[in-house]
Amino acid sequence: MRRTIGWRGAVVAAAATIVLAACGSSATPVPGSAAPGSPAASAEVPAPTDATGATAAPSTGAAPSDATLRVGWASEPDTMNPLTTYSTEATEVLQLIYDKLIGYGTDLKPKAELAASWETAADGLSTTYRLQPNATWSDGQPVTSEDVAYTFQTIKDDSLGSYAQWLADFVGAETPDPQTVVLRYAKPQAFDPALAIPILPKHVWSTMDAKAIQTFPNDQPVGSGPFTLGEWKKGETVTLQRNDAFWGSPAIPKEIIYVLYASEDVEAQALKNGDVDVLTEVPPTVWDGVVGAENVKAAQLPSFSFHHIGFNVSDAAGSRGNPLLRDPEIRRALSAAVDRNQLVQIALAGKGQIGSTLIPAGLAEWHLEVPPDTKLDADPEKAKSILDAAGYVDANGDGIRESKDGMPLQFRLIAIESTSVDVRAAQLFRDAAEAVGIKLDLTTMDENTLGSTVYNTDAPDWDVFVWGWDSGVPDPDYMLGVPLCSQIGGNNDVFYCDKAYDELYAQQATTLDPAARKVLVDQMQQMFYDAAPYIVMWYQDKLQAYRTDTWTGWQEIPGGILFNFTRDNYMNVAPAR
Amino acid sequence: MHLPRPGYLARKLLGVAATLFAVLTFNFLLFRILPGDPVRLLARAGNLSPEAIERLRQSFGLDQPLPAQYLIYLRNLATGDLGTSLTYRRPVTAILAERMENTLILLAAATVIVVAFGILFGVYAAARRGTRVDSGTVVTSLVFWSLPTFWVGLIFVFILGVYLRVLPISGMTTPGAHYGTPIEAIVDVSRHLVLPTLTLALVDIGQFILITRSSLIDVLTEDFILTAKAKGLSRRRVIWRHGVPNAMLPIVTATALYVSLIVGGTIQVETVFSYPGMGRLMYDAVLRRDYPVLEASFLLFAVTVIFANLASDLLYRRLDPRVRDA
Repeated sequence: MRRTIGWRGAVVAAAATIVLAACGSSATPVPGSAAPGSPAASAEVPAPTDATGATAAPSTGAAPSDATLRVGWASEPDTMNPLTTYSTEATEVLQLIYDKLIGYGTDLKPKAELAASWETAADGLSTTYRLQPNATWSDGQPVTSEDVAYTFQTIKDDSLGSYAQWLADFVGAETPDPQTVVLRYAKPQAFDPALAIPILPKHVWSTMDAKAIQTFPNDQPVGSGPFTLGEWKKGETVTLQRNDAFWGSPAIPKEIIYVLYASEDVEAQALKNGDVDVLTEVPPTVWDGVVGAENVKAAQLPSFSFHHIGFNVSDAAGSRGNPLLRDPEIRRALSAAVDRNQLVQIALAGKGQIGSTLIPAGLAEWHLEVPPDTKLDADPEKAKSILDAAGYVDANGDGIRESKDGMPLQFRLIAIESTSVDVRAAQLFRDAAEAVGIKLDLTTMDENTLGSTVYNTDAPDWDVFVWGWDSGVPDPDYMLGVPLCSQIGGNNDVFYCDKAYDELYAQQATTLDPAARKVLVDQMQQMFYDAAPYIVMWYQDKLQAYRTDTWTGWQEIPGGILFNFTRDNYMNVAPAR
Repeated sequence: MHLPRPGYLARKLLGVAATLFAVLTFNFLLFRILPGDPVRLLARAGNLSPEAIERLRQSFGLDQPLPAQYLIYLRNLATGDLGTSLTYRRPVTAILAERMENTLILLAAATVIVVAFGILFGVYAAARRGTRVDSGTVVTSLVFWSLPTFWVGLIFVFILGVYLRVLPISGMTTPGAHYGTPIEAIVDVSRHLVLPTLTLALVDIGQFILITRSSLIDVLTEDFILTAKAKGLSRRRVIWRHGVPNAMLPIVTATALYVSLIVGGTIQVETVFSYPGMGRLMYDAVLRRDYPVLEASFLLFAVTVIFANLASDLLYRRLDPRVRDA
């Protein structure tokens, strides 16, 4: 799973921060996140039951051009091998080179990609996909159902890459004819793995065993997508060429070139100078300089990410966390004490929305608006009354409440030093806690250290931390799957475990009817919000910018114009006259 | 020219070999005692199965005991195999070769400018010791020397790249450029080199000016200079013929050290100008715990320092008979 990026701080630290952000944006090095037994067990499911995307071709009617789209970014891909990559940059590029069976449109709804149409069986246990009849690999071979079956089966069998997490229930594929593939699962899949897994050419990959795949650089990817890899000058640029043999309507840009910038100030200047047409991420430090620049449009869009305060609620024998935090009343009081609007306005400089449940507001159809009577936010009086009622009072008059047996409500709070928004938020949180009689001692550390401290499953020696998550797919399953009992040792960073929550999770993952699933998803959000192992502070916005005088037709959608789950903006932007 | 006696050279080379071996071993151990498991970092996309992680460990030889890893490391080195990058999954030699080439291009120009003009200005100031020209040169050198590199780079970006728009502000080439002739390519790369080279030259020239000046001032107080003057030689001849050669020793040392920087790249300039050189490669490798890349870079760095020193030792003997006869 993916950890959120820390927003970068000072210009002076540019060198350092760029690289940190580079790592961060892909996912933090989280020791433990891949611990044995943790693979997000039940991945999820489901999907569009029977979409008939028919031709799917993205099209706006504009003709293919000879122009080059120039994209500025601050970090480059690690590898072109989709089965070993861990960077979002590689994922972004590879989604233009490889097709999935089903993609996403600019409405972030599933739409036909390599599968022209599909149909899920009545029992929900299998889906039949009919491939685009004229699809070919970029080396000229036809795309067949064998390729699809090979991809799914190999990822499942050899447990390859992070895609294996989606195939926990996969039982096999059938290929009745070259255009048709049937994928079978042990349980219905509310999130269809076909939305996540890129289809690879069997004739290229089947010559390698799992070990060879680990070190395969894939420098000349053979894909079926709308672009092919032109050249990757490491440390400088990645160039994609339009695939003229693409099965759908061709992309309008003839070429896409990603330009690597190591300095945020220079990156912003490059956009203003017209050296690039779009920036995938505008650091908040240079945001104000981009807003209002001539011929530049700055886009502040909701994202699928949050930052949170997490409490160590581990009951493992070796846990060195303060046991008082296992009492939900203390966590609820802290949740009530902190003013989330203040966090957004001060720590985040207003670049986001107030946080509440596990599902970001950007996933609007799944996000739960917490009803006012259960709301815990910016209400110190409520926090005090919760603590009073639970018997935590300040008996010795030192300003810190104690439990009935005299233990002070004093906890350690850790945050990542380079993530300045988190540090600022931790300071505000500490002050809010102090105002209701809870003392927090703040320490900052680097990201690797925080990761290994937090994910020390057997003997976690910490109390409270600040960090974040990015959703890997536009589906609630991703975020809801973090605090499962089965994810202790995996992604579960607070060691929360509630069998009833896990039960609901399993149910929603196999519930194909969206309305019925939404009821379960809401219930889970409320349950986790009430128990407060996380205080979700905010859903930060994605900050991007593009020139208006070079390319037109950018669709500003939740998740961003680029680095989103849809590739349509790349297909459809047209040169400005 | 006096060639070093074979005995001397052999002793020197033996020393070099011993140093190299120590560096190799230290290099190997250093990255293995660092906290942080590289395989864990690679598996950070999460949800890798235990089998997948084990396979990863095997494919990079990290499942072997340390002594075995050490032997494999030495054996591979002997065959010129520096391993496979954990990040890029490509041979380290190929990655290093690309970056070294870029760094060499950048620093070759800067080195020539810094050394040549540094000596020139240093001599000029020393010859006018105590005058306004001299103190002006000293102060200016100190100011340039203490300027933060990234700041100078940004100032250049804003003045020449953004305000006047005469030069490109980042990278090595114009993204997406298709060159008709090799000349066009050379012109494009050269244009991209101007700002980083200027930045490096400005920041680094100060030390050469100051070293040259103080060394030459010392020499100019020597008796043989007085003798030269007494012989009626021209001022120019006294300085360039009798002074400068005798003031060269510290300059040679400084140049040797400066040249060894080339391998390390110059992370600040590379960052400001998004230049794909060695400095950024090493920095990224540290953060990603890319041991093979780090080991190879450090090795290259050590080898360059060792040989730059050897070269300056040999040059000393050529420049100064006293060293030779010692």
